[in-house]
Amino acid sequence: MNRYYFYLVLLNMLINVIIFVPKILIDYRYEGAVMGILMAIPIGITLNYFYSKAITKFPEQGLPEILANSKHRWLKMIHFGSIQIIWFSAGLITLVGFIDILSRFVNPEMPKLSLLAIYLAAIFLIIQLPTERVMYFLEIVLFLNIPLIGFIIFKAFTNEYLSWDSMLEVGTHLFERPSLKSIAAATYCFSGYANLIIFNRVIKGKLKIWNFIVIFFIGVLNLFTTFFIPIGFHGSDGAQEYLYPWISTADSLRLTYSPIERVIFLFLMFYMSITLMSVSVHWHVAFELLKGTFKEKVSMKKNWLVLAFFGGCSIVGVIFLNSLILHKLTIYWMMFRLGFEIILVGSFFFWARRRAA
Amino acid sequence: MKMFSKWGWMVIILVFVFLLNGCGFKDIDKRFFVVSIGVDLAKDGPKKYLVSLKFAVPSPSKDKTNEFAIVSEKADSMSEAVRIIKTKVDKEVDFSHAKVIVLSEQVVKEKGNAGIFYWFARRRDIQGIAWTAIAKPSALAVLKVKPKSENLPSNALILSLGKDGSETPYVISEFIFDMKYKLIEKGIDPILPIIEAEKDLFEINKVGLFNKSHMVMKLGPEETKILNYLRKREEKSAVKVKKGNTTIVIDTHKVKTKYKIYTPKGKAPYIKVKVSVEGTMEEATRRVPNEKLSDYEKAAEKSLNREIEKVLVKIQKANLDPIGFGLRYRSRHFNNDDWEEWKWIYPAITFKVHTKVQIADTGLIE
Repeated sequence: MNRYYFYLVLLNMLINVIIFVPKILIDYRYEGAVMGILMAIPIGITLNYFYSKAITKFPEQGLPEILANSKHRWLKMIHFGSIQIIWFSAGLITLVGFIDILSRFVNPEMPKLSLLAIYLAAIFLIIQLPTERVMYFLEIVLFLNIPLIGFIIFKAFTNEYLSWDSMLEVGTHLFERPSLKSIAAATYCFSGYANLIIFNRVIKGKLKIWNFIVIFFIGVLNLFTTFFIPIGFHGSDGAQEYLYPWISTADSLRLTYSPIERVIFLFLMFYMSITLMSVSVHWHVAFELLKGTFKEKVSMKKNWLVLAFFGGCSIVGVIFLNSLILHKLTIYWMMFRLGFEIILVGSFFFWARRRAA
Repeated sequence: MKMFSKWGWMVIILVFVFLLNGCGFKDIDKRFFVVSIGVDLAKDGPKKYLVSLKFAVPSPSKDKTNEFAIVSEKADSMSEAVRIIKTKVDKEVDFSHAKVIVLSEQVVKEKGNAGIFYWFARRRDIQGIAWTAIAKPSALAVLKVKPKSENLPSNALILSLGKDGSETPYVISEFIFDMKYKLIEKGIDPILPIIEAEKDLFEINKVGLFNKSHMVMKLGPEETKILNYLRKREEKSAVKVKKGNTTIVIDTHKVKTKYKIYTPKGKAPYIKVKVSVEGTMEEATRRVPNEKLSDYEKAAEKSLNREIEKVLVKIQKANLDPIGFGLRYRSRHFNNDDWEEWKWIYPAITFKVHTKVQIADTGLIE
C-alpha cells in the first residue's frame, strides 16, 4: 500500500465536514441522499482507479513535467488553468468556511480578517515548499490528529444519546431517486486522488489494487459517519436545521472525565491543523500548476504576484461570503466539480494510454 | 541569500499578524460566568418571562467557593432579557459554563415556548450538553438553593442530573440538544426531570412528559423508575415485591429491555415488551428460604408486568410517546406515509409485557 496516496485521499475525507458535505447530504436525506451515497461510492472508486492508473505511468512526475515539451501550448494553458481554478476554489471554500467556524465558536470578538491573516501566513509558507516537504507536513499532521479524531468518532458511536432508530428511519428512504447534488457532495470524499496531478512527484512505482480496496472501506465508513452520526444525534427531522451538523454533533458529546468536558473544542483544535493542510495541499497544486504554465523559470516577482492574488481572493471571500451564501455556492461548485473531474479523468486516461502505447 | 530574505519576510509578517489581535480578547477577570439559567413566567406586568442568570462569583479564599449572584430580568424573549441583564452587571456575561437550564412548571405548561428552546440551540456559546429540567415551585427558587455539600455554584445540580454523582433510577436527565431533537422528531416525545427546591436540598424524582409543544403529564417516582427501565438508561434500582404477608426488596444490577412492534394483518397490533431484571435480595420483612426464591421471582414478574403495563397505558392514553415506539415503527417501514399510519395505530395498540426476574444472590444472609 502506498501511504502517500492514502494520505491524499484521507485528507479529503476528513475535510468534508468543513466543506458542507454533511449539510448538503442531510438536506436531501429524504430526497435520495442515501441512494446518492451508495452511487457515489462506485463513481468515486472508479475515478480514483483510472486517474491513478494513468498518472502512475509517469513515475515521479507531476503534470507540468509530463506536459513540459507539449507542442500545444494553448491547450496546455487551458487545461492547467481550469484545474487551477477548481483547486484554488476548493481551498478557498474550505478556508472561508473554517474562518467562519472559528470566528463563531472560538473567538467571536476577533475580526475575521486577522484570523485569515494568521492562516494565510502559514499557508503561504507551506505552499512554496517543495512538494516532498508538503507531503511530510501532511504526514505529520495526519499522524498527530487521526487517532484523536478516531477517538471522537468512537465516542460518538458508543454514545447513549445516539439514536439508531433515527438513522434507520433515514435509511428507509433508500429507494428514492438519487439527487445529483447529493451524489456530487458524496463523491467529494473520494476526490483526494486528484491531488496526484502534482503529488505524483513523490509517489514511487505503481499503485497496487490494495490501495483501492482500502480506500473503498474507509470511504464507506467515512460517508456513513459523516451522514448518519449527526442524524443519530439531532434526529431525522431535526438534523437539517443545523448549519454545521458536525460541529453541533461535537458539541453534543461529553467526555465526563477528560480535562476538557466539551468535545467541540477538541474537535475544532484538531480541525485547525487539518484545514490548514487541506487548504495548503489544494493551493500547492494550484500554485505548482501555475508555475508550470510559464516557460521560463518563475521569478521572485511573479511568485509574489501569484501569492498576492491568492491572498486577495481569500480576503474578498471572507468579506463578502457569509456562511449562507457560501453554502449555496458550494452546492453548485460540487456539481461543477464532479462534471469537471469526470472529463479530466476521462481525457487524461485516454491521452496517457495513447502516449504510453 | 535569497531564501533567507523570503523567510525573513514571512517572519516579519507573522509578527505583525500576532500584533493585530490586541483588542479582541477579554481577560478572564473581566468575564462573569453564568452557571445556570432559569426561566419563569413573569407574575405581574406586561412582560411574559422572568429570566434569571446565576453567576459564579470568584472568591479569593479557599473556604467559600460556592458564592453566587442571581440577576433576574423581565422580558418578552430570552435575548431581550440577556441584553438588559448585561447592562446590570459590570463584566462581560459569558455563557460558556452554563451547564444547567431550568424552566419553571408554569412555563412548560404553556404553549408557544419553542422560541426559548431554539434560542438555546441557536446561541453558539450555550453548550449542547447543558442539562435541562423543570423547576418547582419556580426556576428562581431552584437557582437560589444552596446545598451544604456544594463546592461550586450549581455543582449539586450538575452532579445529580449527570451520572457522575449519585446514581438513581428516579432521575431521567436530559441535555438541551436531546430535548430539541425530541421536540422535532416525529415519533418520540420529550421528557424532562422535575426538580423540586427544598431548603438546602433538591428533590428530583419525577418527570414531566411533553407533547411537541408543552408539558402534558407528570409521572410520580415509581412511574419514573419504570420509564427508566423502558429507556434502558439506568440499571441500579430497587423493586419491591409483595407476596402474602412478606415483602422483599430486590436490588437490581441488570435491567434489559427489548420491544418489538407487531402489526399482523387483520388482527389488532400489539407491542411486545420484554424486560429482564437481575438482582440481589436486599431486604425482607420475614425469613425467606432459598427454595422459595423462585416463587418470589414469579411474584415479582407478575407485579412488574402489571406496573409496566399500567405506565405504558397511561402514557398511551395521553397520546404521548417518550420511549419512541413511533420512531421505531417509522424506522422499520419503508413506505413514506408510515407516520400517518402510526398515528392511527398507536391509540389502539395493546401492550404485552413479559418480565423475567432473576434473584441471583440473597446478600450475605441466606
